[in-house]
Amino acid sequence: MKRITSTTLKGASAGLMVVSISTAVGAGLAQQAPVEIGVYSGRHYNTDKELYRQFTARTGIRVKVLESKDDAVIERLKSEGRNSPADVLVLVDAARLDIATDQGLFQPSRSAALERDVPANLRDSKGRWFGLTRRVRAVVVNPKLVNPATIRTYADLANPALKGKLCLRERKSPYNQSLVASQMILRGESTTRAWVRGMVANVKQPFFTSDTPLARAVARGECGVGVVNSYYVARMLSGAGGAEDKRLAQQVKIVYVNPSHVNISGAGVTRYAKNPQAAIKLIEFLASPTGGRGYAEANNEYPLRGVGNNPYLKGFGTFRADGVSVEQIGSRTRAATKAMEADGWK
Amino acid sequence: MAALATAERVTAVKGPPPMRRASLTAAVVLVSALALLPVLMLVGYALLAPGSSTLQLGAEGLEQVVNTVVLVVGVGLIGAVVGTANGWLTACCHFPGRRWLRLAQVLPLAAPAFVLATVLVDLGSRWGYRFHGIGWAVLLLSLTTYTYVFLLSTESFSMSGHRQLEACRSLGVGPWGSFRRVALPLALPSIGAGVALSGMEVVNELGAVEMLGVPTLSRGILQRWQGEGDLQGAVGLALIALVMVSLLVGAERWLRHRSRRWNMGHEGTSSLQWQLSGWRCYTAQLLTVVPPVVSLAIPLTWLVMSLDHLQSDSLEELVALTLRSLGLALAAAVVTVVAAVLLAIARRWLPQPFLRQLTFVAGMGYAIPGTVLALALMLIGGPLGLSPLLLLLWGYSDRFLAVSKGGLDAALERIPPSVDEAATGLGCSWSQVLKRVHLPLLKGPMLVGALLVFVDTVKELPLTFSLRPFDFDTLAVRVYQYAGDERVSTALIPALLIVALGLVAAVALMPSLERLGSGADQS
Repeated sequence: MKRITSTTLKGASAGLMVVSISTAVGAGLAQQAPVEIGVYSGRHYNTDKELYRQFTARTGIRVKVLESKDDAVIERLKSEGRNSPADVLVLVDAARLDIATDQGLFQPSRSAALERDVPANLRDSKGRWFGLTRRVRAVVVNPKLVNPATIRTYADLANPALKGKLCLRERKSPYNQSLVASQMILRGESTTRAWVRGMVANVKQPFFTSDTPLARAVARGECGVGVVNSYYVARMLSGAGGAEDKRLAQQVKIVYVNPSHVNISGAGVTRYAKNPQAAIKLIEFLASPTGGRGYAEANNEYPLRGVGNNPYLKGFGTFRADGVSVEQIGSRTRAATKAMEADGWK
Repeated sequence: MAALATAERVTAVKGPPPMRRASLTAAVVLVSALALLPVLMLVGYALLAPGSSTLQLGAEGLEQVVNTVVLVVGVGLIGAVVGTANGWLTACCHFPGRRWLRLAQVLPLAAPAFVLATVLVDLGSRWGYRFHGIGWAVLLLSLTTYTYVFLLSTESFSMSGHRQLEACRSLGVGPWGSFRRVALPLALPSIGAGVALSGMEVVNELGAVEMLGVPTLSRGILQRWQGEGDLQGAVGLALIALVMVSLLVGAERWLRHRSRRWNMGHEGTSSLQWQLSGWRCYTAQLLTVVPPVVSLAIPLTWLVMSLDHLQSDSLEELVALTLRSLGLALAAAVVTVVAAVLLAIARRWLPQPFLRQLTFVAGMGYAIPGTVLALALMLIGGPLGLSPLLLLLWGYSDRFLAVSKGGLDAALERIPPSVDEAATGLGCSWSQVLKRVHLPLLKGPMLVGALLVFVDTVKELPLTFSLRPFDFDTLAVRVYQYAGDERVSTALIPALLIVALGLVAAVALMPSLERLGSGADQS
């Protein structure tokens, strides 16, 4: 018995020594090499990099970035599994955030700062992802062709009076998929499908492949009404696309229907993050009023609360969000896409 | 008179027993295994994945297949006509501006189709015209891919040149007759190879067809895989694409087989070209000037219209982007051309039918859409923790192997086996024959192959996009991101840098091609 105890003690002390040596070495290394985290992001704005630099200046944590598309970074993270060098995953669509959550790509985190800065309906209840910015699926109207007052809800877009006047982007757009998914939650499957069919009957073919040309077509009177994310029109108004683009944007009116479909971009700590503490610090920074403003302003998006200081967004007025949760949108996106396909949304 | 011979069937070069070629065999098996592994991985993954379903094309899938076929055929026809005409005109005729126009033919290839499509759609939406649909897609893709036919055929025209022309002249055959009755049949293998390459490029095209709203197989694959999470469906569609490309490759080989001729040595063209004058001269100039001008005019029109709000990355960033694109493209060109020479030579030297089939199948990587190949490589590299750059190079060489191999195969077939047999008879090993006989004779197609791989890599998107490491954007990636965000004003400068890189590569290589044509004359 005595022998066993002494052996155990010896073993334990040897183990402790190893642990303490490795801890010491680890601490030494940590002091020498600065902490570095990897970010996989579905966003790509040059100002984002400036934000990451600010974060590094504040915390000393270096940030490596891979900017891509939501679907592509999700696939990459999945295939890399434990070997992934990514600590943070940033996605720009509610449905994609939900898909990534379902596939176990995030790990839960707790952060008092995030619970304070991110409204509860814009973050995962288990702390797997946190919203960073909001974008509204708006109706863009040419007042010369369509009276903006006649558009009060998305349902009004199926009004036969708009036949040949409605312009829509293709089904492939995640924004449209999430819009239809949210309508399915709010209005049920059959009403939503009737609405989709009504809109498709109104559409001036062919479907658009991007939002900006659609907004221009509305401005030029080729369409009377269309559905776009409001930041595209804000960008045109800012003059980023030139004086002519700005003039075109001034011809249209942005209508926020009541309630409006609000999509989000958000981030979470990856399941196999090597540096989860540093990762959550970055998310805290991006969700903080300072960092968050930068993230939102880069793309004329809405910050997590209020309208922010963006003059173009202020000009669009206020909106009331439909309150559909990200999880709900995610759960219906596939069904929504199938229904859109079946009902002729190209 | 040039020694032209027609062979009934292909025979491997006779010589020392196959044992001596063990190192070649090993190299071929290795290269082919690396090339085929991603495809096998993918098929295995699709078969083993739970809930396997049979492929259901549906109305949408059918539309995607039909559109893809229409694109391949349309682009192939236009590309064959324009590429061959310009190839012959700039190689065998003399007219003012010929040299520059010959060089300029590479421009359209250097302009990525998705950039042109994005710019057209953006310009159109400012002017109130909608660039949309398959007609525009055919025109645009013809513009950006006819250069494959041009490069391969012009190389063949300049190689098989001058004595034929001499013969034609002494028999009283004019320029048109000499083209139709002599030069064209001889160049058919190269033209076929070029058309097949452009077809594969078309099957793979994603960005441009997305912008123009044309549902194609490559879009369907991505949609099913990432949009609907239906990997088996995606692989099923990818297999249809693979069949289409196999048909293209098969057709090209059949064409080549039919017109198998060997040409002793290479002859120059510089001293003897058809002098074009009058309307013939103007037609030649018009034909050769329109495609490069259009491909440049599209982005330049945009540039001029947008000078007031053109935005740019910092100079430092642009240099970094350019250097990364350049480095990757150079590395990919070298690796791919070496692999292609190995496979092409092996097809000639190794008697085992299995190995020869293997070299054929190994070139099929081009058939796999970039996004799918990227997925396969991620499945291999992810669990093994392979370096992203290594995976990226692997992907490039897999995908572009056919690009460099097509021209090599066609060129090798012009070298009569008697040359190899004479060399082996004199005691040379395959590697010595390669070094002393084949490589010098293959310099032209190798350069063309390297140029094509270089330009293709600079433009390449799906692989680079999916596999690159942290903080490693390239020009193409940046252009695609900006264009995807509908920020054309920021996308344009990196886009023009892509065109510039392609042009620099072309300018660097063209003199050697021209010399190749004329060098033998002086010897």
